[in-house]
Amino acid sequence: MSGSEGLVSRLPNDIGGLTAGSIARVEHELEPWEKRCHALADVLDFKKLINTEEKRRGVEALGSDMIGQLAYYERWIVAFANIFFAKGILTPTELAEKMAEVEARHIAGR
Amino acid sequence: MAHEHEHDHDHPHAEISVSEMPGYYEVMETAIRELLIDKQLITGNDIRHQIEVLDSRTPALGAKVVARAWVDAAFRERLLADGRAACEELGISFYDDTRLIVLENTETVHNLIVCTLCSCYPRPVLGLPPDWYKLKPYRARAVSEPRIVLAEFGTIIPDDVEVRVSDSTAAVRYLVLPRRPEATDDYSEEQLAALVTRDAMIGVIPVTLGMEN
Repeated sequence: MSGSEGLVSRLPNDIGGLTAGSIARVEHELEPWEKRCHALADVLDFKKLINTEEKRRGVEALGSDMIGQLAYYERWIVAFANIFFAKGILTPTELAEKMAEVEARHIAGR
Repeated sequence: MAHEHEHDHDHPHAEISVSEMPGYYEVMETAIRELLIDKQLITGNDIRHQIEVLDSRTPALGAKVVARAWVDAAFRERLLADGRAACEELGISFYDDTRLIVLENTETVHNLIVCTLCSCYPRPVLGLPPDWYKLKPYRARAVSEPRIVLAEFGTIIPDDVEVRVSDSTAAVRYLVLPRRPEATDDYSEEQLAALVTRDAMIGVIPVTLGMEN
């Protein structure tokens, strides 16, 4: 197989069986926001807002560039935003405004 | 800069000063959470409660299950028949809607678990997976060259022992029931549980004596 066919037959998450380097046995304690993000994912699953497989597909839909450059929970939260936009639960404008508000709060609190 | 924050790192995080601005993705997390709370789709209490649940899940729970299976043959049968129901017998609740299949290592079979597509893992009994479990080298290679992967963990599986790799999904999770080490006949259930490590329940190492904390 050469050229673009590989992109069709394997989506970005589908890496089982590919060649890869040695396993660096890394671990880290989750940062507080990462743990909140994980808890959010679980709650979204319980409340039937976004289930685990939708989340996984949402990450896959980010494409290989973003998957490659964003960290694990960064991919999750961006996928959640996109899924909520697609479901009409949030709008991009709403999220942008809320993010500006959160940042402003931090600046005011400094 | 978020891009400097690669996910395959292993550095101790610097102390976070109160004046430090949260990163882009942290701001996004806070914003999404607050919007969902405003819309009454979730509550702040839901998140706080789930953080407590996550904090309560550690490999000690899986170790308790393994030790019980080693000392109680009837429990072991129930565990292999229905992993979730047997764990629930021990008071381990499943907070997610997943099935648990327990894979028994024997003289002739060694099991290894992976999630090639992402990071599915038996979280109710082991807590959150280590970063290496979620990164490409392990996910890519565990299914195609498991013996080489195991050797990287220092685990050499004899050629006459079959290696079985189970690939997790959103709905089906696996837990390895490791072999009980030799010379542990006089160990109590608690002493046995203390020997069982997270990595042994993923299947990348055996349970050995001298692993007690």
